[in-house]
Amino acid sequence: MNDLLNKEIFSEIPLRTWGWLGVNEAPVPEGLAGVNPGRQEITVAAGQAEELVLAEREGGALELAICLEPGAKLHLVQAELAPVTAGVSSRLQIRAAAGAKFSYTSVLAGGASVAAELTVELAGQDSEADVWAFYLGDAGRRLDLNYIIRQSGRDTRANMQVRGALTGGAEKIFRGTLDFLQGAKGSVGRENEEVLLLSEDVRNRSVPLMLSHEDDVDGHHGVSVGRMDEARLFYLMSRGLDLSEAQRLIVAAAANPVLDRIPGQALGQEIYAYLQGRLAHA
Amino acid sequence: MAEKKTYVADIERALYDIRDGDNAAYKSESGLTEAVIRDISGRKQEPDWMLNFRLQSLAIYNSLQLPAWGPDISSLDMDRIVTYVQPDARLTGKWSEVPEDIKGTFDRLGIPEAEQKSLGGVGAQYDSEVVYHSIQEELVQQGVVYTDMETALREHEAVVREYFMSLVPPKDHKFAALHGAVWSGGSFVHVPAGVQVEIPLQSYFRLNAAGAGQFEHTLIILEPGASLHFIEGCSAPKYNVTNLHAGCVELFVKEGARLRYSTIENWSRNMMNLNTKRALVEKDGLIEWVSGSFGSQVSCLYPCSVLHGENARCEFTGVTFASRGQNLDTGATVIHAAPHTSANINTRTISKAGGAATYRSAVKVTKQAPYAKCSVNCESLMLDDESRSDTLPVMDVEGAEADIGHEAKIGRISDEAIFYLTSRGIEENEARAMIVRGFVEPIAKELPLEYAVEMNNLVSLELEGTMG
Repeated sequence: MNDLLNKEIFSEIPLRTWGWLGVNEAPVPEGLAGVNPGRQEITVAAGQAEELVLAEREGGALELAICLEPGAKLHLVQAELAPVTAGVSSRLQIRAAAGAKFSYTSVLAGGASVAAELTVELAGQDSEADVWAFYLGDAGRRLDLNYIIRQSGRDTRANMQVRGALTGGAEKIFRGTLDFLQGAKGSVGRENEEVLLLSEDVRNRSVPLMLSHEDDVDGHHGVSVGRMDEARLFYLMSRGLDLSEAQRLIVAAAANPVLDRIPGQALGQEIYAYLQGRLAHA
Repeated sequence: MAEKKTYVADIERALYDIRDGDNAAYKSESGLTEAVIRDISGRKQEPDWMLNFRLQSLAIYNSLQLPAWGPDISSLDMDRIVTYVQPDARLTGKWSEVPEDIKGTFDRLGIPEAEQKSLGGVGAQYDSEVVYHSIQEELVQQGVVYTDMETALREHEAVVREYFMSLVPPKDHKFAALHGAVWSGGSFVHVPAGVQVEIPLQSYFRLNAAGAGQFEHTLIILEPGASLHFIEGCSAPKYNVTNLHAGCVELFVKEGARLRYSTIENWSRNMMNLNTKRALVEKDGLIEWVSGSFGSQVSCLYPCSVLHGENARCEFTGVTFASRGQNLDTGATVIHAAPHTSANINTRTISKAGGAATYRSAVKVTKQAPYAKCSVNCESLMLDDESRSDTLPVMDVEGAEADIGHEAKIGRISDEAIFYLTSRGIEENEARAMIVRGFVEPIAKELPLEYAVEMNNLVSLELEGTMG
């Protein structure tokens, strides 16, 4: 069934909260209502290690289901570089068997209205998810992200690291869920989001959920939302950079831990140039 | 060899579960109808505007749906709830005049003893009405008013009319509307400008009647520069029918005023505790919430602080302990609505024996609040894998000049901590007890002494074996 984009709601938070906050659902991005993304399925065979790069330069909808067999490894790289008028949605569903490792690197820099859902099921013992994402919201962009890592296998490890910067009149909602199911004994989960606010007109909503039905786990999440560090700005400006240049440098520094994971120089440079271009016009 | 488990005791409830006989002088019909509301208002000889307020609230109640989030409260059948139970006692300022059975209940709970030792005033509500109220003469001479809401409505009608449910309007949610329709009892405090009330005031709410609801209203107004510590305690004996608590607390903290509002909620485990608390804090004002949630079958409790004036501050300290059959959904809300406002939220939850504890919060920074600061720290300790512990915070920030941090942890007692302590010569059992005590210590130290002792009782450990 690939009719989900026919509904008004693209994605939902695993545990609902107060309606007035407007974070329970992510709507289908503008222009994508009625679009059938066509679900693609990928299996990484037992013991294999693969890398998959998805560079999106047109916008539109993507739906991808990935099965990692025992001991399989996958590094999925997703670069969202769509035009500033495009609607973008992506739904990724990953299931990891015993000993499998899912690495994810995502840069969300393009599109006018973006909805992204990532669901990782760490079903097998000793499976692992290592998720890194950077987003840039500028002008009137709307970013609506819903990342969920469910840990049901024993001794699983989840790491969710998200960095972002908002400027212009951007709005962003990031929902990040670590869900420890009963039986996930010995599992560890870490989630962290750091958000830089660069304009008076931005709106940032951060929703770090941690759900647990298992006592033998170690879960930790943190969120930091704030303006640029004034001392750092002062230092850079005292070295001759103007405010805009200094801001671009600081945003680039925030993006670096994510960009460093991008394989191949060409794509990394393309993303960097794209980000700098967006920031220069912010 | 079978693994022994450390046993963490439930709170000792025997004291709270002693029931009095059905000693009501009057009970309204069960259910929520216009006739019931007219009856309550008529018995209280209220002014017309209050009757109309109640009837408008009923209309709002009927137009609103149950919340689409939070614990399941679908088993709550309002047609079976008695909304007004008048005890067989008149309000008095002399303890000796309180009827023996009611007095015995409050004696067992230690209320008069606490009054003699450390309180500036006491209110005691039994079912739907306040039966005892006292305040030290020195405070009266300073202009402090501490009385029940019915008396306040008669003697300070203009003030009540100005403030009553202005901060928590009936349209806020279904149970705020219910409260507006059937409220009864509660406390009214007015502290004049510059008056520092050095010793706490305490109101204690006891619901004795089976299948009843308690809907007390607490209205506290601190004029500029005033300060107060107000303590609220709640309990009820256990019945096998659902009881309902839908109280409402409205706190007005004006410029430079400081209010500490401490609550220990220990309702019986047939209680649905759907309470609403809100504070409006003006320039340089401070609201401090200290909140302990131990009882109830279901709790939904999220004290809200609206930081409305420049430099207004909020400190929230909370502990929740959910055991078998309990679903306690607690947390806090802070609205930053002025520049340079700041908040600290610090909570601990413990869940055991299949209990479910949820930390739910919202931090909202409006565009009118540049340089807002907020720090949230919540830690959850799970004592077995039957239980649930969920953390659901939301941060909503508009503008560029905020500084918001949130941190949460979940887990059990770590083997590394035990190893560290035992390597220093501490017995393993004592090490575990130390860790649990240390876990709740940041909260316990903020509680009034008698409540800190009560909370320590709940972490009394049967110290053998491992926890897990």
